[in-house]
Amino acid sequence: MLSTLLLTVAAAAPPPVHGRDLVAVQAGTIHVVEEGRVIEGGGTVLIRDGKIVGVGQDVDIPDDARVVDYGPTAVIIPGLVAADSGFGGRSPSGRTADPGLAAIDQVDTYGTYASTLAGGVTTAYVSPARRRLIAGHGAVVKLGGTAGKGRVLDDASAIHGSISADARSTPGYWEPPVPATVDVGLGVERPQLPRTTMGAMIALRELLALAADPKASEEYGPATGADLSAMIKAGKRWRMRAETENEIRALLEFFDENNLPLVLTGAGRGGKLAEAIAKSGTPVIVPAAVLPNAKPRDLGKSEEAVWPDQKLASTLSAAGVKVVVVPPLDYPISDLRFYADLARRGGMTPETALAAITLDAATVLGVEKRVGSLSAGKDADLVVLNGSPLAPTSSVLATWIDGDIAWKAHESESVVLEVDHLYVGNGETLSPGQILMENGRIVEVGRRVAHPIGCTVVRGTGAMPGMIDTLGHLGLEGSSKVPATRFKYSRMLETGDFADRRVAQAGVTTVLMTPRGIGGSGTPALAYKPASEDLERMVVADPAVMHMQWSNSNRLKSGLQVKSILQKATEYKKKWEDYEEAIAKWVPPPPEPPEEEKEDDDEEDEEESENGEDKDEEKSKKKKKKKKKDDDPPIPVTGVWLAESASVGEDGECVRLRMQLLDTDGTLEGYLRCDAVSETLVAVEGKRDEHSVDLTGFGSMGDVAVSAKTEKGKLLGQVVVGDVEVCFQAEQTSKEYVVAKRGERRKEKRPEKAKAPKGKPKVPGINADLEPFRAALQGEKAVVVRVERQDEILDCVDAFESFGIQPILFGANDAWKVSDKIVGRVRGVLLNHRVIYSDSKMGTRKRNRYAELANAGIPVAFHSSAEEGAAELPLVAAYAVSQGMSPAGAVHALTQGAAEMMEIDGRVGSLKPGLDADVLLLDGDPLDLGTSILRVWVDGREVRLH
Amino acid sequence: MKKQILRALTQTVAAISMASLAFALPGDGNLVIKAGKVITVSGETIENGTIVIEGGRITAIGKDVEYPWTASVKEFPNSVAFPGFVEAITNRGMDRANENVEVAPFLNVRDSIDPVNFYYEDALRAGITTINVQQGADCVVGGMGYVVKPKGLTVEAMTVKPNSGVAMSASPKRGKSRATQTQALREAFGDLRQYLEGLVQEKKDGVDYATREALYQGREPDEETAKGRPMGGNAWKVDGLQMVPRWEIDEKKAPLLKIVEGKTAVYFHCSTPQDVRMAIDVATANGFLHRIVLVLGSSCWKAADLIAERGVPVILSSALTHIERDPVTGEEIETFVPGVFQDKGVRFALRSTGAASQSLWYQAALCVGHGMSRKDAIAAVTTTPAEMLGLGKRIGHLSKGADGNVVIFSGDPLSVTSLTEYVVIEGNEAYDRATDTRVRHLETGEQPENTAPASASDLEAHDCGDDEIEEEKKKVDEGENEEEKKGDDHDHDDEKEN
Repeated sequence: MLSTLLLTVAAAAPPPVHGRDLVAVQAGTIHVVEEGRVIEGGGTVLIRDGKIVGVGQDVDIPDDARVVDYGPTAVIIPGLVAADSGFGGRSPSGRTADPGLAAIDQVDTYGTYASTLAGGVTTAYVSPARRRLIAGHGAVVKLGGTAGKGRVLDDASAIHGSISADARSTPGYWEPPVPATVDVGLGVERPQLPRTTMGAMIALRELLALAADPKASEEYGPATGADLSAMIKAGKRWRMRAETENEIRALLEFFDENNLPLVLTGAGRGGKLAEAIAKSGTPVIVPAAVLPNAKPRDLGKSEEAVWPDQKLASTLSAAGVKVVVVPPLDYPISDLRFYADLARRGGMTPETALAAITLDAATVLGVEKRVGSLSAGKDADLVVLNGSPLAPTSSVLATWIDGDIAWKAHESESVVLEVDHLYVGNGETLSPGQILMENGRIVEVGRRVAHPIGCTVVRGTGAMPGMIDTLGHLGLEGSSKVPATRFKYSRMLETGDFADRRVAQAGVTTVLMTPRGIGGSGTPALAYKPASEDLERMVVADPAVMHMQWSNSNRLKSGLQVKSILQKATEYKKKWEDYEEAIAKWVPPPPEPPEEEKEDDDEEDEEESENGEDKDEEKSKKKKKKKKKDDDPPIPVTGVWLAESASVGEDGECVRLRMQLLDTDGTLEGYLRCDAVSETLVAVEGKRDEHSVDLTGFGSMGDVAVSAKTEKGKLLGQVVVGDVEVCFQAEQTSKEYVVAKRGERRKEKRPEKAKAPKGKPKVPGINADLEPFRAALQGEKAVVVRVERQDEILDCVDAFESFGIQPILFGANDAWKVSDKIVGRVRGVLLNHRVIYSDSKMGTRKRNRYAELANAGIPVAFHSSAEEGAAELPLVAAYAVSQGMSPAGAVHALTQGAAEMMEIDGRVGSLKPGLDADVLLLDGDPLDLGTSILRVWVDGREVRLH
Repeated sequence: MKKQILRALTQTVAAISMASLAFALPGDGNLVIKAGKVITVSGETIENGTIVIEGGRITAIGKDVEYPWTASVKEFPNSVAFPGFVEAITNRGMDRANENVEVAPFLNVRDSIDPVNFYYEDALRAGITTINVQQGADCVVGGMGYVVKPKGLTVEAMTVKPNSGVAMSASPKRGKSRATQTQALREAFGDLRQYLEGLVQEKKDGVDYATREALYQGREPDEETAKGRPMGGNAWKVDGLQMVPRWEIDEKKAPLLKIVEGKTAVYFHCSTPQDVRMAIDVATANGFLHRIVLVLGSSCWKAADLIAERGVPVILSSALTHIERDPVTGEEIETFVPGVFQDKGVRFALRSTGAASQSLWYQAALCVGHGMSRKDAIAAVTTTPAEMLGLGKRIGHLSKGADGNVVIFSGDPLSVTSLTEYVVIEGNEAYDRATDTRVRHLETGEQPENTAPASASDLEAHDCGDDEIEEEKKKVDEGENEEEKKGDDHDHDDEKEN
């Protein structure tokens, strides 16, 4: 109990020792922000005790540093600074000016701001309240790190106020005199300034005067003068909201006149005053002019209606104003990057936009010495992204505060590949191309695809679908057994081992596992993905194709077996077709009262014949049950009958009698135990008819005859052995015949099928041996037939054609010779491994058989006929390319061509939405010998050797 | 002659017995208790021990202790004697827990305590013998509290320690934000300072508004307040305060001055860790950090480091486990709060919930269930709260010189199946289960004399107050099945006000 407890505490509490160690955080790109510096091609941020000590490409990483590498595609930017937030107070003071109201009292420095950190925002300004001329003083806090005071960057960052319309409805103030007496009335409520801009300016002047000579003021409250004076003396900024042009102008003039530092917020209509604002050197905090994640607003239809100026930030920035972008008033600050990206509308550069939510924001808040950029000496607050800082498709992977991870994205299953050339598999190439993999499948392929939040982004040169070995043995583990036609290889699959993963890393992600040898009635081949980690997803098709052998050593017999199987399959197919036709025509008769006997046959037919042997057995058993039910009115006798006191002869001596009976359609068998009758167990058999039970047997004392009757649930009768007669009255103690029962498997009770009405066409049984061929005859499955010689090839193709099948020729040494005769009649050719064919007749001329067949329009595919040798398949193809085969054709033959040939293109073979996410990341053109496969995903998961 | 001698002898005996009769009179604070087991808390547990109480104080305790033969003796050979639980803070037992005024240190719960409130009766049934009654948390600076015993017909009779300290709150009062609450807290002391400086200035200027004002308000100087004295405390000082006679200081401000001078204990309510920081800031700035006891909400364990660093004692929320969701993973994180404070070395006391079912024994038992040592768990409901109240020598343990508060449990005090059989407060019987009419009503169904009718319709006809409804609840709580009792968790009206 206690240990669990301690663990919980440890897990929940922030780490007590904070960033004491040296950490080197690495990523491909680092945006320092200061002077627009960007480190590309890999850089390091070195952190000691929560502070940055070095940033750059060639930072010396001490040996004792902990290195956290986010990889070459990751991007590091400084922790974002939100110059306004909704964490502030909602209830303003009753006074129009209450500079003593501290925002820092409002903010929970022990809170967890996970969703904000998830947006990469590490620092936020907190307003004391809103809707007052001077609402109080704002604070700047960090949203993570050591809880408590350590998170406070500045507890009095600015005098926070507004002269805009929102601050013009301050309630009247009223202070009752204490004690109120008859002479001293309770008084009345006194109105407060401002109601107008001029009122606001007057009030500001009065406040300045009060601050110059601080004393308790009736109008502005007892402590206002002193509080304000202290803050002015400390040189605090005035962070005033103004929206309209005249408000902005009035503020600029007032603060210029009084030489006080001003930060404008809002400035919604300040676009035209950009020059004036720039001239005054006043920074502007611009809330984004959009309300995301909400219903769009109607902004007014009249000509005078002012619609928000979405180019305001750019306009001001272009004029030279320091612009800080913040979310719309009281909107979540987690979307800060989105707002900064929006601020680019109108021409702001991405660098300026990034600065507007980092360094510039920190500067305007006066905390630029601590946060806002990645330079030595500052707090190690950084954000790791999976893409460029403001791109809408990039998301935050981790957020660091004070050298510690404050937030980390969930391990995302989503992977996006961004490559220069995406080889889709069908010969097309997208340049550039992106692909999104999610939950093991390809979700989107295109030039730009969706980037789910937290997705892993991988960049590279090229990507292609995983390759297919159309005939391999990987997974057979050396076995040379030829299984039965109906055998399911998928039963013996295991998830990928080391060799499987190595083959996958070489690029071959799908293998058609074929036995070493072909059986007479056809042999199945399983299409599976050796490196998959999910047993169910491993199987692509089982069986995927059927292998047959055409050639026979006795040439006369070549093809006979194939033909005979196909003939059988055709008949089998016909049966089904007839049935389907009949059932299509058949009109169900009106419902009839149920008839028990009929049920049996119909039901039987629907049973799959897969378990053929069991069929008869089951049938008879069913009948048994039925019969018994019919005899039910007299009680069933099967079971154990016990008579504790059976009386022997006329003396009436009491003995025990026990009988076990099994009733099979009126025929009884069983055992009898009674000491008075036999010293041994007596095997009895006999008959039952309605109520009477007659049994005979042979015991130690001679023939035993039992005659009894069932009566009121009891069995009454006598046993006769020689002269001994035992009368018994037995009770049934069990209804099961235990002893003689064989250890049979209990079949699950099938749900009662709806009884088929009369005349319904019978369903033909399923023949597992012929089923794949039926599919082949229907063109749904491929048949690979091994045939070599020219004449046999032609015979074979003819024969298959007569059955309406386009076979895949395997071996097919001579196929190239008859390519014109077989083109369009075969599904494809799996050549043996000799790509190049030459003989003395041809001299030095060589024939590339793959290329010739492919050029003739006959699909070819590559195969290994090996186990882990499948890993060399890409090299076989590369060699074929080197000998004149089209590279695109070779890639096609390795991927989509092979998948189409094997009828597995619904799962693998190309990069199409919905297909399995089996993807290879390349550093060049596929099949270019200089290209290597960098990374491999199978079912959307990266294949790693360890 | 013989007769004379006999008479004389009889007279002597009579005189002696008359003398010792005084010892045995009920209600005089003299009693001898013998119990099968005496848990002293401060020392070893005594088997078959005897506690001698004279004049309300324990004069002797031990295995074989001598006591006058005339003494009234209560024997509980199969039961356990225990010093009684100490409720470190409650806002029950009053008509209302909170006032409307934000800064009101001039209030006093003495005026609000209701001696016949069922709460006190219930406290006795739960074995609680000392209670610190304080204003609720819905304030900025609240009124003065009282430490009472749950027996007596007047507040004076109940009082153990008057003016035990004021309540303050760092959590926002209704209608306030955290910032305005803190501002109000700070301003309360800022105002005081301004006011005192104003007074001193007036004296220097030779103006005497304050005297007039004081007379006008009907105040009079007494020996102690007739003279001025320099300001005490260690945070900020108003020079020249000795010029102002203390009685002239506005009675609404005077209690605050006492706080700043460190003369008053402060019970500081904090519902979140942020409040803790605020409370400690305010207390430090005004020099009364050493007088505060933090009354915490369950999430405040997050500020345990800060609390430990400042060495402030705490009273824990009645919810002993704090459950929150990890904002990242969404998983529930459960924290056993007393465990955190114990690990950090913070002195902590436990408090009851509003519901009678989760009284102090239950809270302590829960701590033991979570792996705390029995000794520490018991200390958190006896000696620690007693020390916080400044009654450490008198209350929370059974030892020579301590108050004669003894609770007889039928078994272990922390056991679910134990019942409070008998309670002695300052040597006088305060509770006897055998004569507890409400328990009898519950157990036998009899309707005791002069009690309210039980049926709901009758109750309605009575125009009943909240207390009666509470009582109804309690009757439910007092169910015979103790296990069932544990499951109940009634939200209490008072609890809501807290």
